[in-house]
Amino acid sequence: MSVGYQPVAVGKRRGFRWASLPVIGRAQPLHVLLAVLVYVFFAVFLIWPIAQIVYTGFVSPGGGLTLAYFKLIFADPNLVAGLRNSVLVACSTTFLSLLISLPLAILSVRFTFPGRGLMSGLLLVPLVLPPFVGAIGMRMLLGRNGPLSMILYKLGIVDANGFDWLGNLQYAGVVFIQALGLYPIMLLNIQASLANIDPAMEQAAYNLGASRASVFRKITFPLMRPGMFAGCTLVLIWSFTELGTPLMFDVYTVTPVQVFKQITEVSSNPLPYALVVVMLFASTLLYLIGKVVLGRGFTAATTKASVQATPTKLTGWKGTAALLPFLLVFGLAVLPHLAVVLTSITATGAWYKTVLPATFTASHFFDALRSDLAVPSVYNSVRYATMATLLGCVVGLTIAVLLVRSKLPGKGVIDALAMLPLAVPGLVLAFGYLSISVYCVNHLKHCPDWLNVKEYPVVLLVLAYAARRLPYIVRSTVAGLQQTPEDLELAAANLGASRFRTMRKITLPLIVANLIAGALLAFAFAMLEVSDSIILAQNNRFYPITKAIWELSQRLGDGPYVASALGVWAMTLLALTILGANQLLGKRMGAIFRA
Amino acid sequence: MKKYLFLILFVIVLVLPAVLQRVVGAAASEGESGPGVVTLDVVTPHNQDIRNVFGPGFSEWHKAKYGSAVNVRFTAPGGTGDISRLLTANYTSALQPDGSVGVDFKPPYDVVWGGGDFFFDIEIKKFLAPTSLSEDFLKAAFPEPSLAGVRLYDYNGPGKPVKWVGICISAFGIIYNPDVYAGLGIPAPESWPDLTRPDLQGWLALANPQSSSSAAVAYSMVYQRAMADEEEAFLKTHPDLVKASTAERMKNADYKAAVARGWHTGMGRLMLIAANARYFTDSGTQPSWDVANGDAAVAMTIDFYARTYEGAAGEKRARLVTPRGATAINPDPAAVLLGVKGEKYTVANQFLEYLLSPEAQQKWILKPGTAGAPDRALYRPPVRKDAYTDTANWTHPRLNPFSDALGFNQRGEWNALFSETRSLVWAASWIDTRVQLKDTYKSILAVENESKRAALLAELANIPITYQELEKIRADLKAVPKDKSDEAKAQARIDMANRFREFYSRLKVKAEGAQ
Repeated sequence: MSVGYQPVAVGKRRGFRWASLPVIGRAQPLHVLLAVLVYVFFAVFLIWPIAQIVYTGFVSPGGGLTLAYFKLIFADPNLVAGLRNSVLVACSTTFLSLLISLPLAILSVRFTFPGRGLMSGLLLVPLVLPPFVGAIGMRMLLGRNGPLSMILYKLGIVDANGFDWLGNLQYAGVVFIQALGLYPIMLLNIQASLANIDPAMEQAAYNLGASRASVFRKITFPLMRPGMFAGCTLVLIWSFTELGTPLMFDVYTVTPVQVFKQITEVSSNPLPYALVVVMLFASTLLYLIGKVVLGRGFTAATTKASVQATPTKLTGWKGTAALLPFLLVFGLAVLPHLAVVLTSITATGAWYKTVLPATFTASHFFDALRSDLAVPSVYNSVRYATMATLLGCVVGLTIAVLLVRSKLPGKGVIDALAMLPLAVPGLVLAFGYLSISVYCVNHLKHCPDWLNVKEYPVVLLVLAYAARRLPYIVRSTVAGLQQTPEDLELAAANLGASRFRTMRKITLPLIVANLIAGALLAFAFAMLEVSDSIILAQNNRFYPITKAIWELSQRLGDGPYVASALGVWAMTLLALTILGANQLLGKRMGAIFRA
Repeated sequence: MKKYLFLILFVIVLVLPAVLQRVVGAAASEGESGPGVVTLDVVTPHNQDIRNVFGPGFSEWHKAKYGSAVNVRFTAPGGTGDISRLLTANYTSALQPDGSVGVDFKPPYDVVWGGGDFFFDIEIKKFLAPTSLSEDFLKAAFPEPSLAGVRLYDYNGPGKPVKWVGICISAFGIIYNPDVYAGLGIPAPESWPDLTRPDLQGWLALANPQSSSSAAVAYSMVYQRAMADEEEAFLKTHPDLVKASTAERMKNADYKAAVARGWHTGMGRLMLIAANARYFTDSGTQPSWDVANGDAAVAMTIDFYARTYEGAAGEKRARLVTPRGATAINPDPAAVLLGVKGEKYTVANQFLEYLLSPEAQQKWILKPGTAGAPDRALYRPPVRKDAYTDTANWTHPRLNPFSDALGFNQRGEWNALFSETRSLVWAASWIDTRVQLKDTYKSILAVENESKRAALLAELANIPITYQELEKIRADLKAVPKDKSDEAKAQARIDMANRFREFYSRLKVKAEGAQ
């Protein structure tokens, strides 16, 4: 922030008064400058790569501009059905995640009971599961000869040929698995929102004789809407563009799979690029609808929770009853992790027609170690993800301040741009960065190594990770800022604090929980990022962990086992990161989201 | 202390593997690097096992033969589709109308290695440079330029430039799980049509021919076999044409009709195979893995995938069958890329020379533990015929495509007939209308009356497009001006999918009426 501040710091910094700043339109110069920097960031690291790729959807082979591919998309019943199914899957997933998260959030923030802290932490398990490995685990679990089938067989429900979960569940399976993987995003955001609500508001309502239900409906629910909006939007758009889960269930009539299948075809085909543009529009539309439904009419709370609500203590059977939903959700969410751990210690081919593997081995871990990919890839990933998160925090916080605090005209554009990475399939952005690198190598006389992915992909990888995970930081920080009354900052300014000091002493501490929530998500997802890693890291030395896992999983014969072994390592590291961050803050997991 | 517990654990988990790695010993390191060492950039779909063998192998060989160190840097962006996209992105703006690139052009890689002959010959040939390997060298490596009608290297006649050379051989076959077959109570598969059995519904693992050119070769074998059957029958009644070339035979209207009938029959068989599909995956290794794990009963696959799983899961769960009378054998080539110059061009050609050297050829199939063998078996047949003299240390001593492929093999000239349109039909009838195909098939199999069901299945195999119509579509697409070609192709695919959608829904109604 100080970097952006310096050039406009006219006069003495201390005692500098906001009101004395010259005003351009209704926006302040600092905000204008920050906005320019943000626009430059977006233009270079988001719009350019996307434009490189999307352009293909508008250009005919002769080089002329055309809209023909868009007409074709809407003339194709298959692609239209794909769009419809994707919207349905996204809405159902969001609804189911909300259904899972809302009660858990309320229970964990408003009540204490034995095991609450532990369970709130454990509920974040889906965040530590590398995607390929997750799919390997789920395929093992849901296989025809996998443990679930074999339990049904032992119970006499199905015959010896097992039950084809993946083939039969289809859309229901996709929604269920996606919701189980995405609910933490929703949970973190709702928890943060709930914890930020001033208990005095609810207390006042109770004093006036309102019932629990009407307090929730009229006070709590409206006040936690920013967090719900943040969570719902992220989950909605994520599930709308999710590729891995429908592929796992072999569901092809959804847009992301159609884009993926057509983009990976051997012959050239511009249609998928046009389809990406349609997807971008659809995502934006979904986002706007979400905003109308959940975010409309929200004005920043005039009071910030100055005291924390004292959670109600539940003991005895009430405490146990409160724990049950946590156990249930955790039990389901941890299944793929268990499957991955078991796969990593299963002797090759020894988990076949049995509930548990027949023989165990540690050899896959040694095989992973023996491969020249595994160890360096973990260090690379930790390095890249840390850098990307730091960059993301700086840019994300800047954007959040602009969105909530500035009077910039057209700041909705910044908001939309910040959310754009969610709507763009990873593969498209990755190819965009790649073509930028190719462009620089071919057009610059002395192309620096850091722009050439073959020589040194780290810079582009970090930028790609940061850009892609920016929405998490922006959404959660915006929610925090919205719940923090501007009056506190104004008061500080009135007392003579500089802008920077106000930010450091007032704003940041008040929204640190939101920032950490966003940063944790960004770090975890950067560690687990797939498309950018696979396309941009071309040289062994720079492989991040996901690319190493992918490479190992392609190994013939024992690939998935060795990949699981490396996956277990990645999961452990990520879990320790989250637990460590929490512990360093000195609060329990459920409580770190309270400012 | 307690406050930092997780942080300490984090550091331990982070560091432990690096320590353990020193104990177990790390794998092959990258080749030498430093000033004066040429780095060769190779883009490849080959897996890490293959790269680990031939990268360091080339460095050693080069030092021994030419006295200087070289370093191979592999880029593995995925499958052949990804490589094709990468090359297109790099070359499209640089390619001149005469097929050359400017002097200033910097090629993205030096060598492209791996794929099939279709990929090298049709998809990326415009990005390839002629090799500098001498004619004598090539003659020694390939005494016969082709095997059962398929070119082993880009031989176009004496003195003509050669743009790619085969390095090893891929054959296509069926991998099945004997245990699952026993459970289903059906006999082991022996030929491609055995995959059309309705009791395999949902049990057949298939790769997406749109993204895997090797899968496309396997599928084209099915219709080419049927075309060959019709051809054989035709030649029995037309002995005068037995020695004629395909081009001459095509002038005979009856021959053309016979071949067209064969194509239609073969595509019908493929339709019944596709109806049994559990999925059309974009991962080449997934089908074999699923068969070995019992998630699928059977799959069409490249031979060495199947051999690996025979070894890993045991023959009770994975067995490779080479289909009778229709093995698809196909070279797996390497080539130097257009625009590679100077020292790099020399080293790139030396890389091809190394890959064709007797010692490198043996590495493809030697048993681990024997002299010169890699740590992990590669299970692939080499391309040089003279490699098959001493096979005692091989993982499969009796493997010999040069004698196995003497039956029918895929034909390049028949491939060329469908180069633009075969994908169109497959994409439209299998992928774009997959839901409809599945539903219709389910309805047909629900018909209890056996003869009615058989009639409906025959009707499903009678696909709603003829060879003649497809030829017309191909001609029409060719006639479209370049500017509109992508649009026309996309429109053709939609039209084709609509045609199949109608066909499936008509059949479904019929099947439901017969239930």
